[in-house]
Amino acid sequence: MNVVAREAAHARATPRSDRYLDVAAVTKRFGAATVLKDLDISVARSEFISLLGPSGCGKTTLLRLIAGLMKPDGGRIAIGGNDLTQVPAHKRNIGVVFQNYALFPHLSVEQNVAFGLEAQRTLKAEIGGRVQNALALVRMQAFAERRISALSGGQQQRVAVARALVVKPSLLLLDEPFSALDRKLRETMQIELRHLLRDLEITSIFVTHDQDEALVMSDRIAVMNEGRIEQLGTPDEVYSSPASLHVLEFVGQSTRIGGTASASGQGGDVGIETPIGQIRASMRRNSGPTGKVVVGIRPECIALGERPGADFNEITAELADIVFFGSKTALHFKPPAMEDRIQVEVARLPSGVAPGAALKLHWPIAETMVYPTP
Amino acid sequence: MMIPRISFALCWVMLGLVLMFLFTPIVIVVAVSFTESAVFSFPPQGFSLKWYYSIRNADGLLASAWLSAQVAFISTLISLVLGTLCAIAVVRRMVPGGDAIATFMASPLMIPGLVLGIAFLQSARLIGLNDAYATLLIAHIVLTMPFIMRTVLASLSMFDFSMVDAARMLGCSYPRALWRVLVPNILPGVMSGALFAFIASFDNYPISIFLVDVHTKTLPIQLLNQLEMSPDPTVAATSALLIMATIVALIVCDRLVGLKRMTTI
Amino acid sequence: MTTIGMETQVTAPPRRRLLQLDAPAIMVLPGLVFMVVAFAIPVLILVADSFRDASGLSLAGYRKVLGDPYYIGIIWNSLQLGLITTIGSLLIGYPAAFALSRAPARLQVLLFALIFLPLTVSIIVKTFGLAIMMRRDGILNWLLLNLGFIERPMRLVFTEFALYFGMINVFLPLMILPIYSVMRQLDPRLTDAAASLGAGPVTTFLRVTLPLTMPGVVAGISLVFSISVAAYVTPGLLIGDRFMTMSQVMAKAYLNIRDFNLGASMAVVMLVVAVTIVFTSTYFAEPASRRGRKG
Repeated sequence: MNVVAREAAHARATPRSDRYLDVAAVTKRFGAATVLKDLDISVARSEFISLLGPSGCGKTTLLRLIAGLMKPDGGRIAIGGNDLTQVPAHKRNIGVVFQNYALFPHLSVEQNVAFGLEAQRTLKAEIGGRVQNALALVRMQAFAERRISALSGGQQQRVAVARALVVKPSLLLLDEPFSALDRKLRETMQIELRHLLRDLEITSIFVTHDQDEALVMSDRIAVMNEGRIEQLGTPDEVYSSPASLHVLEFVGQSTRIGGTASASGQGGDVGIETPIGQIRASMRRNSGPTGKVVVGIRPECIALGERPGADFNEITAELADIVFFGSKTALHFKPPAMEDRIQVEVARLPSGVAPGAALKLHWPIAETMVYPTP
Repeated sequence: MMIPRISFALCWVMLGLVLMFLFTPIVIVVAVSFTESAVFSFPPQGFSLKWYYSIRNADGLLASAWLSAQVAFISTLISLVLGTLCAIAVVRRMVPGGDAIATFMASPLMIPGLVLGIAFLQSARLIGLNDAYATLLIAHIVLTMPFIMRTVLASLSMFDFSMVDAARMLGCSYPRALWRVLVPNILPGVMSGALFAFIASFDNYPISIFLVDVHTKTLPIQLLNQLEMSPDPTVAATSALLIMATIVALIVCDRLVGLKRMTTI
Repeated sequence: MTTIGMETQVTAPPRRRLLQLDAPAIMVLPGLVFMVVAFAIPVLILVADSFRDASGLSLAGYRKVLGDPYYIGIIWNSLQLGLITTIGSLLIGYPAAFALSRAPARLQVLLFALIFLPLTVSIIVKTFGLAIMMRRDGILNWLLLNLGFIERPMRLVFTEFALYFGMINVFLPLMILPIYSVMRQLDPRLTDAAASLGAGPVTTFLRVTLPLTMPGVVAGISLVFSISVAAYVTPGLLIGDRFMTMSQVMAKAYLNIRDFNLGASMAVVMLVVAVTIVFTSTYFAEPASRRGRKG
């Protein structure tokens, strides 16, 4: 039953209905520790999906299982309907871009790219042209003869991408490929790679612990925690409707306030008693938890001033800090009863606001998220 | 200020003396190999190559040199294969107790050669292994294994194994991935280990002495025999050739690998 | 249907750990099995043999080796050989290693190669050269005569002087190289810092340089001692039967007099000495290297 419900959920979330890569009930243990437990995920053809989570959540293990570099202790992995669970890595035809690129230092750029074609015994006459094409794709033709050690980090990444793509893989796996690049270059490469993969319509799975990267690049994001997928959805869904407290915490900024929920709020709402007063949350959004809960609010949902209507929560708090970001300004409030700060983002700082001022804040009850305390 | 300067100078003098001290016996052997007289007097008298010609006629010298080269080459090669495979499994933590295995494989180096030789002799007798060639070969694999293990482990510790994964994803089976990617990348480091293993085997006396027989004598044993029986400059000529071969081998290795990487042992 | 299939797979007991080792794990086996069969077992058989003679279980070998003053003297000779060679190498090698580590980079590589090269030359060849050097008409006597230290050539070969002169010559690089490898990493500014704090050169050496180079010294000492205590070729050629060591007794027991029980017992005593040296030196080297890693 649960499986059916989950599949229905997938069908809704998946923009294209076909299940190209299908990972079903996969389990992986290392000794006594279970790293992945009954994990399911389906990826549509030419979709770009991110596995996002903290280190140790099992995302790299999942990637290695799909690649065939590890064997699962249970479950099934299929691409395009072909069960690959027992197929060794070298026969899966899956491309991988490794975290440190894993380029071969004893070979030139050209030879690196040709490596896969040679291993698959492609006709000699064909190899040269395909290598040139692959290098052209990543704009590295001019470096064909170079040694790997003579390339910059960004160039190495391009070669790694070309090497993975030249064999026309049925799936591309990317294991934190941007972590070795500096911020500026990383942003350029992210967009460039995204465009390239979209043009080639190649199905890609991207492992990262960087939420910004996942939000920028993905068609869908799978947020992982402790060997499970906590939420699978579009970047917008994952950001604005986190399925769990962990997703809320891991993706984007948020203010979190502990409290106690009472079953009956007024007008179909939940009422939560918190140290800063009662907060109401819409029942439509939350499944009506009771007892110890955590209230979550995104910083851009909170506005300054009195509430415009009854559908809003309102509190008064003292402004502690102003952090200027250029395109936006973050305000940090520190109510005496709370340990954490309340984070508010505004496009423009109202005049006359200074730290120490007591200000009224409001936000819609529809944007108030409630999660049971773990 | 005076004490440091003087002691510093004394250190340099000491280094100079050490170099003279280390090289005198080697130079003398070479010098003696070119003398005319059959006695080793100093300063050497005359110049001739006759002792080099007499190597050919000397009983068994060439045969034992050939035997030593064979044993050293084959045992190094076998150690190289067995040791590299073992080291990969240890470094990749594929087996429990990897560190203990690595220590064990390198431990023959810590045991006196004579003790090893006696141990081999006893066991060979016990199982009725009479073939001197086979016994020598087995003993020399044990002898060379530590050199290989040490350098291979050191080389592997600097090797990025995701390259092997990359090769597999590109269509190489695991053994082929090791051969195409791991081997070429660790080869320079391993070469130096192999060279030292070869030299250790080629020069070995204390193990081999218990395992040779009349027909199967390695070069060190033959040389020492010769020294005790008829100490003439033929031995010096053989030794001089050995020295030159060593220097050539070192230079070749330097060209291939670079001296810096060789000296990490 | 698929759900059921999956569940059976999931609930299946974890496969037996040892057999589940990935295929590559068997790579360890050929080498390991070989070394167990060809190395560990023979050494264990040797140890077992030392407790046995023709009549069965016996401690006769040990009674002889550890009870007879003659053999005690021989064990002592071996230890003395190791000790004097080690001390001599240390006294000569330490300052040489110091100079080597302070040489300009280019020269340092060359000097290093020159220290290293003799190690690759056969011990027999070197000892042969040493024996020629120390003949009555050899270069050493010639040198001493011309420098006026002696009036008549001395007999050097087959004296203890020849023995230690030769032993130190053969094993000196094994002392210099480990000390040098530690000294090279020593920041010369440390000694400057000590001097700037008012430490005299002697204090600086004793309190800064020496303690920091101790790991190299320990490595050198254990290396030279463990090899020289068991040396066979060099003592045999340079002094012969006048100076009997454990090695000579062992070799004679097996090659000449065929007293295997005596030989095996002596071999085990030597094995114990070797193992003791290894453990003692790791004990002394370990804390120092750990401190080094943390720092």
